[in-house]
Amino acid sequence: MRASILKQGSVLIASVQGSMTDADLAQMRDELVLDVRRHRSTGVIVDVTMLEVMDSFAARTLRGITQMIKLLGATSIVVGIQPEVAFSMVQLGLTLEGTNTALDLEEGLALLKGPRIDHHER
Amino acid sequence: MAEQHEEAADRFADGTEISEQELAHRKEFLELGEEDVARLTAINDLARRYADAVIEDFYRHLLSFEDTRSFFGDPQVLQRVKNMQKEYFLRLTQGNYDLAYVEDRLKIGAAHERIRLPIKSYLGMYNFYLRAVAARLVDAFKKTPDEAWSTFLSLMKLTFLDIGFAIDTYINASERTIRAQQEAIQELPTPVLPVREGMLLVPIIGIIDSLRARQLTEQLLGSIRSNRARMVVIDITGVQSVDSRVANHIVQTVEAARLMGARVIIAGISPEVAQTMVTLGIDLGRIMTVGDLQSGIERAEQLLGYVVTRSRSGETATG
Repeated sequence: MRASILKQGSVLIASVQGSMTDADLAQMRDELVLDVRRHRSTGVIVDVTMLEVMDSFAARTLRGITQMIKLLGATSIVVGIQPEVAFSMVQLGLTLEGTNTALDLEEGLALLKGPRIDHHER
Repeated sequence: MAEQHEEAADRFADGTEISEQELAHRKEFLELGEEDVARLTAINDLARRYADAVIEDFYRHLLSFEDTRSFFGDPQVLQRVKNMQKEYFLRLTQGNYDLAYVEDRLKIGAAHERIRLPIKSYLGMYNFYLRAVAARLVDAFKKTPDEAWSTFLSLMKLTFLDIGFAIDTYINASERTIRAQQEAIQELPTPVLPVREGMLLVPIIGIIDSLRARQLTEQLLGSIRSNRARMVVIDITGVQSVDSRVANHIVQTVEAARLMGARVIIAGISPEVAQTMVTLGIDLGRIMTVGDLQSGIERAEQLLGYVVTRSRSGETATG
């Protein structure tokens, strides 16, 4: 299943589907990086609203996306982590440290348009 | 070893646990032995003869005092306790002071506790009874006063055994109330309050245990979503103690909130708590903390971009 990656101005929005496999996620990561380069995007929003379970592979992949995109000079934000998912993530010790987060797409976009984001924000 | 203990203990209706060993220990402590039992059973016939009279005197005494009269206002209650009391008195001289005997004592104690008779009055009743019996013993053993005295001492040992159990009943009832109240307090949900657009306040009072921490976190995360909160102030002014476990709960809650895009400020860290945390080596990492709630709210407002100014006129008086 292909990830859906939409372009909105200088921002790319990647929506993770609930049924994505590890391979799908890895593919999404690779595509995103290429797209950022191609469109010279300054921001990336990874929307995981539909993700029901965040395991360590998904968490690692998300962090990988963040790091790669940062190297390309863009800012990324993970949005849409649901309460239940957030809860089980911290229990498993998956904190996505170093990754920017926001409640949803709307907040994520506001954040990108707003003042400078601190990448080291905890 | 633990199994043996469990088999031996008898759990009575009101939650008191008395084991064979405990009963034996108490008898030993009071020096209540076979000779005492023999003396008491020896006066069983005498006891039957004076039981009714003693009971009547007894309750007449109680009813003559205002503070004890009020407990026996209901004639049905009065009759019931009179009957129980008569049975009790007779039982004192029937020997066989085993766990079944103890259970009866506890029941009577509980019955009096339930009608809220103060323990001082309950103990006063034993005092009356002992004096009433003493008089009758002196009378019955005119020819052998030594025997009256020995019998009286045996009776005294037994009543003290009973008094011990009666006090246990009263204490158990108190402890049960305290436990129930504690549970009620624990069950009070912690509110998650929107205080500004985008800001939530979570005032925590009391003890944070794993269950409460979990409930709190779930509630908070849900509120973050429904209120679209970006700042959360968790106020721990009312939290009694912060140890490593509590700190862990707080850290987890903060991390989960962050995954949903909300930053957390922990407010209300008292000087004592600060000392404890440093002594225990508790490190909250990069979690923002402030000393009091006011600072926490002001900092949160700042981060959200609020500017709070006071207008000159302030509140207008209402007419």
